[in-house]
Amino acid sequence: MKKKTVFLVVTLVLVVGAYVGYKYLYKDHRNIAEETAVFNGSAEEIQGQFASGQEELLNQTVIVTGSVSQVEGTSITLDDKVQCVFAETMEVAIGTEIKVKGRCIGYDDLFEIVKLDQSQLIN
Amino acid sequence: MKNNITYLIVLLLLCVGQVNAQKYATKSGVIDFEASVPSFEEVKAKNSSVSAILNTATGEFASLALIQGFRFKVALMEEHFNENYMESAQYPKAIVKGSITDFDAGRLSDTTTEFNFKGTIAIHGVTQPLETKVNLTKLGDQMEMSTSFILKPGDFDIKIPSIVSNKIADEVTVTAMYTLSQK
Repeated sequence: MKKKTVFLVVTLVLVVGAYVGYKYLYKDHRNIAEETAVFNGSAEEIQGQFASGQEELLNQTVIVTGSVSQVEGTSITLDDKVQCVFAETMEVAIGTEIKVKGRCIGYDDLFEIVKLDQSQLIN
Repeated sequence: MKNNITYLIVLLLLCVGQVNAQKYATKSGVIDFEASVPSFEEVKAKNSSVSAILNTATGEFASLALIQGFRFKVALMEEHFNENYMESAQYPKAIVKGSITDFDAGRLSDTTTEFNFKGTIAIHGVTQPLETKVNLTKLGDQMEMSTSFILKPGDFDIKIPSIVSNKIADEVTVTAMYTLSQK
């Protein structure tokens, strides 16, 4: 009887341990769509922050508003200041005012733009 | 008066420069890298928002990739890549600068031509020389550029703990693909 209990406990610990370990190693990616944005503002505003060396928004979820200035495959550029990369090919007319939620991956000195990935359009 | 003339000349030279400067650029280049070791979990990531500019008057080329933009299949691997190895909060970008030494716009055509690139690559705060072959194909007003080279994490002061070092290859194969549009 006692042996059986020990066996059960050991098995349980092993199973739970394996499950926790697996969950740790293969945890899910961040879900940007469901995260709360820490910044909500215009493309100009966020670009201004990075251009002046403030990089607090790096790797944060942000919401950016602006007018479409370029569409290149899966990416849309807002006001020549923020480039948003989407999962699928985008078809939006130049000049449309849009709001995008995405993860800020940093500042590109070559084009002087802020880049977002895992973007999605929000209304 | 003399100042005005100087100003005019400078302006004129700038204009001429603008006309001659043939620039091809993209904000959505793709860089893949792989450091997998057979029979272990694949170590592979992709960044599809790499910026690049090629000046076809001089052959000068520059490219910038944001480290946070590299996506892995396994979330934990991506986290370790950013936080422990690349320290992307401190060193958020990788930059390649240099020129295509034997560049000749006349050799460009719709069939792929191989050129030599010589320049530098800066990753993790360390700048190393970079020499590689690049393939250029001109398709209408677009230019396709691709290259592949090998980097060693040690050269960039990137330390890989011994506990995982047998699961990550010593040589990282980097592949870059750009579809550059005329500016």
